[in-house]
Amino acid sequence: MITKRDTRIPRRPLLWLAAALVFVLPPMFDGLAPWVPTLLLVAITTKFWMEPRGYRLRFLPLKIALVVGALVAIFISYGAIKGIEPGVSLIIVLMSLKIFEAHTAREFHFMVMLGWVLCLCGFFLAQDLAIAVCIMIAFTLLTTALIQFYRGLAGGRIWQPLRAALTLLAQAVPLIVLFFLLFPRVTTAFRLLLTPNAVSASGFSDRLSPGSVEAMANSTAVAFRAEFPDDDVPRSIPLYWRGLVLTQGDGMEWRFREMLRSSPQFHSGGTIRQLITIEPHGEHWMFALDRPVTEPPGASLRPGNYLRSWQAIVKPRRYEVKSSLELARQDLQPLERKQLLEVPASISPRIRELAQSWSQADPDPHAIIRRALDFFQTQRFRYSLSPGEYRKNDLDEFLFRRRIGFCEHYAASFATLMRLAGIPARVVIGYLGGEFNEMGHFYLVRQSDTHAWCEVWLPDIGWRRVDPTNVVAPERVNSGFESFLERNAAAGEITPRFSRTFARQPFFAKIRLTWQTLNYVWDSRVLGFDAEAQQALTHEIGLPDVRPVSLLFLSAIIAAGFVVILATWMQFRARVQPDPVQGLYTKFCAKAARMGAPREPTEGPANFASRVSRVLPQESKRIATISNCYIGLRYARDSDASSLHALAREVQLFGSWKRKNRKSYAGR
Amino acid sequence: MNLARLPRLRPTAALGGLVFVLFATWYAASSQNNAAAYLLFFTLSSLFIVSIPHALLNVASLKATTESVKPTFAGDEVSLPVEVTNQSGKRRYGVRVQVPDSGGDEQAVDEIAAGRAARVLIRFPARARGEYEVKRLCLASAFPLGILRAIKPINCHQRFLVYPKPEGDPRLPPDRARSARNRPRTELGEGDDFAGVRAYEPGQSQRQIDWKAVARGHPLMTKQYTTEATGALYLDFAAVSGDDTEARLAQLALWIIEAERARRSYGLRLRGTEITPSLGQVHFHRCLRALALFK
Repeated sequence: MITKRDTRIPRRPLLWLAAALVFVLPPMFDGLAPWVPTLLLVAITTKFWMEPRGYRLRFLPLKIALVVGALVAIFISYGAIKGIEPGVSLIIVLMSLKIFEAHTAREFHFMVMLGWVLCLCGFFLAQDLAIAVCIMIAFTLLTTALIQFYRGLAGGRIWQPLRAALTLLAQAVPLIVLFFLLFPRVTTAFRLLLTPNAVSASGFSDRLSPGSVEAMANSTAVAFRAEFPDDDVPRSIPLYWRGLVLTQGDGMEWRFREMLRSSPQFHSGGTIRQLITIEPHGEHWMFALDRPVTEPPGASLRPGNYLRSWQAIVKPRRYEVKSSLELARQDLQPLERKQLLEVPASISPRIRELAQSWSQADPDPHAIIRRALDFFQTQRFRYSLSPGEYRKNDLDEFLFRRRIGFCEHYAASFATLMRLAGIPARVVIGYLGGEFNEMGHFYLVRQSDTHAWCEVWLPDIGWRRVDPTNVVAPERVNSGFESFLERNAAAGEITPRFSRTFARQPFFAKIRLTWQTLNYVWDSRVLGFDAEAQQALTHEIGLPDVRPVSLLFLSAIIAAGFVVILATWMQFRARVQPDPVQGLYTKFCAKAARMGAPREPTEGPANFASRVSRVLPQESKRIATISNCYIGLRYARDSDASSLHALAREVQLFGSWKRKNRKSYAGR
Repeated sequence: MNLARLPRLRPTAALGGLVFVLFATWYAASSQNNAAAYLLFFTLSSLFIVSIPHALLNVASLKATTESVKPTFAGDEVSLPVEVTNQSGKRRYGVRVQVPDSGGDEQAVDEIAAGRAARVLIRFPARARGEYEVKRLCLASAFPLGILRAIKPINCHQRFLVYPKPEGDPRLPPDRARSARNRPRTELGEGDDFAGVRAYEPGQSQRQIDWKAVARGHPLMTKQYTTEATGALYLDFAAVSGDDTEARLAQLALWIIEAERARRSYGLRLRGTEITPSLGQVHFHRCLRALALFK
């Protein structure tokens, strides 16, 4: 029963609450209109000025006006009231107003509850590890605020509530893990009235237009991470990650077209197994080492051997896929062949002449390819990430005048030239390379690793990969960490000197690796753990086809058992350490009580000894020794161990006289 | 530990809030298939579950003992001194001590170190005159999360007296006894003429202690004086006008206070009881006690 007086909220809990709310802010500043989190920040700051003076928002019409004003402001900012961002903004605005208004104990608890809801909102806006760490800190601080609040009005030691909160959370960890693994992940049939948040990080698209790769080349965002569980990483060859196959060429622009008739190639032997954790991009494409031959759950292998997810990928997803580096020859259908040779009519005669000159010199496809690559190698083509702007029909401009570009330009122009020379060709977009993390044994592939290359069909061996970028800029294909840093430097994200001096330091390199590994674990094991992964787990621990209700029961029973064990352990930890002197004296008192001389609560040891001696005159000497030893051990400045031994012996012997007597009575 | 003696757990209003937040989190997590939100849901529920033994053990090993209560007048406040002892080896926090159904506030003890004790004074209104007994104390704590309140009832037998509320005419009644008894015997107590010494009894005025004798090593003695009994006042229940017993007792209580303040020796006559005239704290409380217990 909390008294409903108009109490002020003590300063300390308010401080902890404010600290917690500050940690809730990062995802808010990232995803919301900036005035919303700023309002919360202002509210927190002002509260510390208002609270000691007793000021607060009291006037009801003003409150209503503020709420209406906030609603209007949200509507103006987002153009809607529905959806995740406006919804979260509304909660934050209400929280800010509540901070202005709150002053009682009940309202303090309400604010902490709202803080929990804000944590949840943070996870709606972003889920990466950095945000998760922020939110977990906020959660811990909210718990601390509650503990500080309920431990009493006087502050006490500053860090004690934080320690108590960390203890509670640490003890909760086994339960959290248990629930995370076993709590049934049912998908509620009715969807929340929230639009899924737009995933803007992708950058990848189903077309290759001039400049599309350029936009991503400077992005350090993670595309996916790949693990080779069988440790058969092909170290010697560059890692081409196949994404999408583009078959419709319009000169410099290539597009995806669903038209191939031939079925994808499945393969059983000689494959490389990969575990890939993909970052959400809001689309259907999935990646695998060139070329995937198995279908992960929830995805299919399309003609042209690329993967396509059934559902849009809006959260991190982990899947297993097998790839084969070499595939058997596959015939082309006549119609398919025709489509793979289509070129736009707008191609200039000069280009047509160039392609035809190659095929007339030697009709062997291998020779044509060699000539085309020679053309790129010898005609002073340059590789640059900022080649200036090309338009859709600028193939002439690129091939004969500027001769500067990067993978997308080379792949597009090469594939067009091949088609003109009579070789079926297509463009593949995906990623190339990736950074190997030695600590976590996985490849980290970033958006900046985006790459485009060509595939040509040869009558004798079938589809074959040709990467024209390789002849222009071999270092791009074999790029490593160094070039990654340079790319960063070019994008102005970190200065080259800073990155060179610090990133190479073993200590910082280790921190980088650790952070990447933690991110990977978070994305693959935590965010990627869904209903399917749970089913796989229950299968593995020998509970196939277990129903959600049984899972719920199982976790409840284990949780109950855990709580009982925890309580017993805590009780054991809180037991009073017995004091040997006090224990012996208590034993003496108990013995004396049995012999008819119980010690009064107010009786000092000396008084008690003299009284017991009167009751039991036979033991008076022993009683005096016990009493003197006890007083000495308790109150004398220097007490020695021998008197403790003497006390133990005398207490042991005390009363033996009576037992002996009783025996002799029995003997009569 | 004895399960039957575990404290009881009562949910607070905050539990409703928690359930709501938990449900919202679960619903959001499952409809969005958001593993991070699931993690938050599990963290919050695990935190709550783990806090249960903490809440229980926080008050389980607390003991409370009461100390004697000074008598009060009806309408005033009763102050009950309580000593709360922490018998465990861990620090305990945020304990509130309360006398259930007394209508009084609860007193907070913020923190008790292991093996230590804390003292609080619980105040509650004294209602009607009579003898009462505090049979039960409650130690309660919402620590750590304020979602559950652990309550440990503690039995005690602390009796206390509530004197009648002093009300009525403050003028003392005319001294009828004086004419009846010529020069009544003098009463030892406060006065001007030294009459000897007597062993000290707790409650006697310290001013009367023979400090010179104490300085010489003698035990505590009080110097006794006599007063010429200018007239011992008999406060008689039967002589108070009115029909209402309580009002008459209130009048008597007021007179006792006034007489004591005026240092006039007074006696009390109730139905079946008579207290011979005297003065001083012991006598004062004896008279009021008789009023409190009057039936």
